[in-house]
Amino acid sequence: MAQKHINKKNSVWRYGFATILIIAGIILSYLNIGNEFLGFPSLGLWLIYVGFMMLTIVTLQLMSNKKRIVDERMQFVATKAARITFIGIILFAFVIMVVDGIKPIHIAYSYFMSYLICGIVVLYLISYKILLLFN
Amino acid sequence: MKNHIAKLRKKSKITQQELAEKVKVTRQTIISLEFGRYNPSLELAYKITKALKQKHIEDVFDLKSIEI
Repeated sequence: MAQKHINKKNSVWRYGFATILIIAGIILSYLNIGNEFLGFPSLGLWLIYVGFMMLTIVTLQLMSNKKRIVDERMQFVATKAARITFIGIILFAFVIMVVDGIKPIHIAYSYFMSYLICGIVVLYLISYKILLLFN
Repeated sequence: MKNHIAKLRKKSKITQQELAEKVKVTRQTIISLEFGRYNPSLELAYKITKALKQKHIEDVFDLKSIEI
């Protein structure tokens, strides 16, 4: 059980991590490692993008005075939602395999991963919100 | 698990929000606890007992309703 609040101490860690991501991105870009990653021209550019996004989010959280409370019930619900999401994805994949058969798919890996991640996030959010009402 | 949180809270004349702030949870968690939808951890049960100025956890939570 905890009252999570973004303070200066933990924001230093987040800024540090974001900076490491950006530096790693620059190094990978410079060394020309990992081309075509998740729709980005290279892994390095993707890391730089994630790093800057993280910097923006941490800065916005620091500027906001809103206290974010995460208590044990929310953690309990989050665990349940994660379990439902995991089972849901497996069942969905199994149903597709049964209905459509096991066939090769002709889709760019970046698109496939994007759809998969979006599906997971949407399923998790829906199950979390529904479970929050009944727990 | 049945509990007497709502009754004791009203007796102590504190709101759900005030109790939530005392035990560092959200008001929605207090609502869930009062309706018996959520069973708290031992730590939270202890904090609620103290916040409601009761001596024992059994004074707030009906432990007899738990089946062994």
